[in-house]
Amino acid sequence: MNKLDLKTIKDAAHRLLFDMSEEEFLTLQKEFDITLAQMDVLGKIAGVDEIEPMTFPFDIEVHHLRKDEADTPLSNEEVLLNVKEKQSGQIKLPKVVL
Amino acid sequence: MSNNYIPTIGLEIHLETKSKSKMFSSAPNTYGAKPNTSVLPIDLGMPGTLPTVNEEAVKNAIKLSHALHMKIDHTLHFDRKNYFYSDLPKGYQITQNERPIGSDGYLDFQLDGSSVRVEIERLHMEEDTCKQLHYTDFTLLDYNRAGVPLCEIVTRPCIHDARVARLYVEKIREIGIYLDVSDGKMEEGSLRCDVNISIAKEGAKEFGTKVEIKNLNSTANVEKAIAYEIERQKSLLENGEKVRQETRRFDESKMETVLMRVKTDAVDYKYFPEPNILPIKLSDEFVNDTIESSYELADVKFARYTNVFKVSEYDANTLLKNRSLALLFDDATKTCQYYDLLIHFINGDVLTYVSGANNVFNLSGKHLGELINLVGENKISNAQARDIFKVIAKDNKSPIDIVSEQGITQISDEDTLKEMIKKLLDENPQAIEDFKNGKGRAASFLVGLIMKLTKGKANPALASKLINEELKRR
Repeated sequence: MNKLDLKTIKDAAHRLLFDMSEEEFLTLQKEFDITLAQMDVLGKIAGVDEIEPMTFPFDIEVHHLRKDEADTPLSNEEVLLNVKEKQSGQIKLPKVVL
Repeated sequence: MSNNYIPTIGLEIHLETKSKSKMFSSAPNTYGAKPNTSVLPIDLGMPGTLPTVNEEAVKNAIKLSHALHMKIDHTLHFDRKNYFYSDLPKGYQITQNERPIGSDGYLDFQLDGSSVRVEIERLHMEEDTCKQLHYTDFTLLDYNRAGVPLCEIVTRPCIHDARVARLYVEKIREIGIYLDVSDGKMEEGSLRCDVNISIAKEGAKEFGTKVEIKNLNSTANVEKAIAYEIERQKSLLENGEKVRQETRRFDESKMETVLMRVKTDAVDYKYFPEPNILPIKLSDEFVNDTIESSYELADVKFARYTNVFKVSEYDANTLLKNRSLALLFDDATKTCQYYDLLIHFINGDVLTYVSGANNVFNLSGKHLGELINLVGENKISNAQARDIFKVIAKDNKSPIDIVSEQGITQISDEDTLKEMIKKLLDENPQAIEDFKNGKGRAASFLVGLIMKLTKGKANPALASKLINEELKRR
């Protein structure tokens, strides 16, 4: 069973465009160790490779589509209720350009 | 291997589609509203909210897919595209990665008299992200756009000419507008286009390194940016340098592409099936009814106008640049069969009127058709039709009523006109002399005098014919 090293985790974090403290990376590495150990247990079950990946608990299809009707939106004040910094009715952030 | 470089271009178009509500939430889909006033908790990525798929957005995607000759998947599958950025409050965008609603289509159009085909790989539905306004040292977020329905249309890397790329974008916009599924306004961001472009020597088995150009805000800039980029890449290769895999933008003022960022590793979006939306089965009836309810495309109208109504290709193309006027023409043809007169009047007077600032236009096709019938039947002149049009354009009065109320008539009686012309020539011997000396303007001068004398009521074509006959007789 391979273990994830810190370099791989940091590379993955970089690709997902976020950063963490060294301590948080170590915590995450420990969590991965547990998850991978569990995967190892599952991997030992006979025939597990033949099981198709499952997204939904039941193999069902639905037919419902929402009718295109607009509801009353939130007020600007409600939208900005949890916002730390705002300007001209908008959320203000440090400059981010990807 | 030849020394010629062949460019290979692929286009990704994001088309915001029309609807009352958003793709996965029932917040209003608006443009131009005050910031953060068309938003519901789901658009803000609040925990506990669940997406529901908008029927109208699905119908729009089906109509577009059908117009682009695509296979339509009758089961909707959505996926999560995960990335961490401030325009995406949930941390993922709901899109269709594995199973786009439309696949394997094409679009044919004419360029320099030849037919060109662009192959389209896929059309998928997704939600738009929030709008970010970048200032010198801060960024503002407006979530009104977050969740607006989008169709992303992706071509295969099959285009080798900047003009084809531009025409393709123009055709997609035209199709969106004629199907009434999008307003196609690049300047407002409802049609956005990214270009992927590489060049390789003619006969090479592999593509060159791909460069992406983003944020092109007009079809003219699509063509200019590609043309510039082809030359830039050629120049790099000819100088023994390599083309880097990077994202560039087009700087309109400098007419060149500018580096935005170098792509080192491909971003891993960690796609997986959206667990909050079960696969949705569309009935054959739903798909077929949606296709049947599609509006007529411009190409179909063009064929009808030129083949059935026998108007010129030029007039048909001019009219089709404006869908509302094409619809007005279609409506007017229910009462008027003077197609040439009608299309000229719409392309001239009506277009000028509706282009005027603050001009209110409420004229029905029926009344416009009746007005042109009066001209076609020689009951009023073109000049009179123009005057009547100005009166009825705003409040849609009946032209027949106006003619009757105001006693507007055209003098089309030959005897009456002949009498007037004889008298006029007697009074203007110099004009006869000029005519005999080969001055063609003399006849036009006399037509002008007749029109003035009759206060515009004389039938100008008939008056001109009779004046020429009388001049030759003298």
